[in-house]
Amino acid sequence: MTPQQRAEALSQLRRMRVVSLIEGSTLLLLVLVAVPLKHVAGLTVATRIMGPVHGLAFLAYGWMLIRTVAGGGWSRADILRLSIAALIPFGAFINERALARRQAVLAAR
Amino acid sequence: MIYLWLKALHVAAVLIWSSGLLVAALTTASASKLVADATGHAALIEGIRRFDTRVTSPAMFVVWGAGLALAVLGQWFPSPWLIVKLGIVVVLSALHGVLAATLSRLSQHDVSPPPPWMRHAPVAIMAGLGAIAILVIVKPF
Repeated sequence: MTPQQRAEALSQLRRMRVVSLIEGSTLLLLVLVAVPLKHVAGLTVATRIMGPVHGLAFLAYGWMLIRTVAGGGWSRADILRLSIAALIPFGAFINERALARRQAVLAAR
Repeated sequence: MIYLWLKALHVAAVLIWSSGLLVAALTTASASKLVADATGHAALIEGIRRFDTRVTSPAMFVVWGAGLALAVLGQWFPSPWLIVKLGIVVVLSALHGVLAATLSRLSQHDVSPPPPWMRHAPVAIMAGLGAIAILVIVKPF
């Protein structure tokens, strides 16, 4: 891997981590704040706002995932883990740590 | 009033995204020839990759954001034409992700050729855009 390729891979991993955190945070806000507010307090506006916000974050994550894995160097297990993590609460945060480790390994080369 | 402004933003972003997407697809489709003469074309590929990162990709996110806002404000869900259109946009977005990664590889002088199916990407994009235009204007179902 040339220094230019490594720099690009590191930059892509950084972007992926940011999007992963945003996706995970909006999922938690939707599931743990907006949905209870809707059902307990009758505040439907909470899900009306957080639903589309999380939808967009999820789309951004999905796109960034395709963009990242299409660059090569990812196993099927990695791709599966990255995909499933986006669907479960707190999964994105576990993912972010895994991405940070991969970033650290790549930076140390 | 906000609906019309959102619509204008959406259409402007669609025009930018689709043109950037076609440029990326055409560049990738002719990648083998471009890499063979890398010294002459490296700057061109790097310029297109930078344009994709700074303009085409952000335009795609604007397309999604403004488009979903329009669908909600206009109460277009769950019209069948919109669902089909969303499916096409998802496929185009995924294709864009792969093209962006390929452009990135090409700009780093990676000489491994792109997958053969990418030669058909420009035609697939034009067909997708044409289908979207029909769905949005005619609303056949």
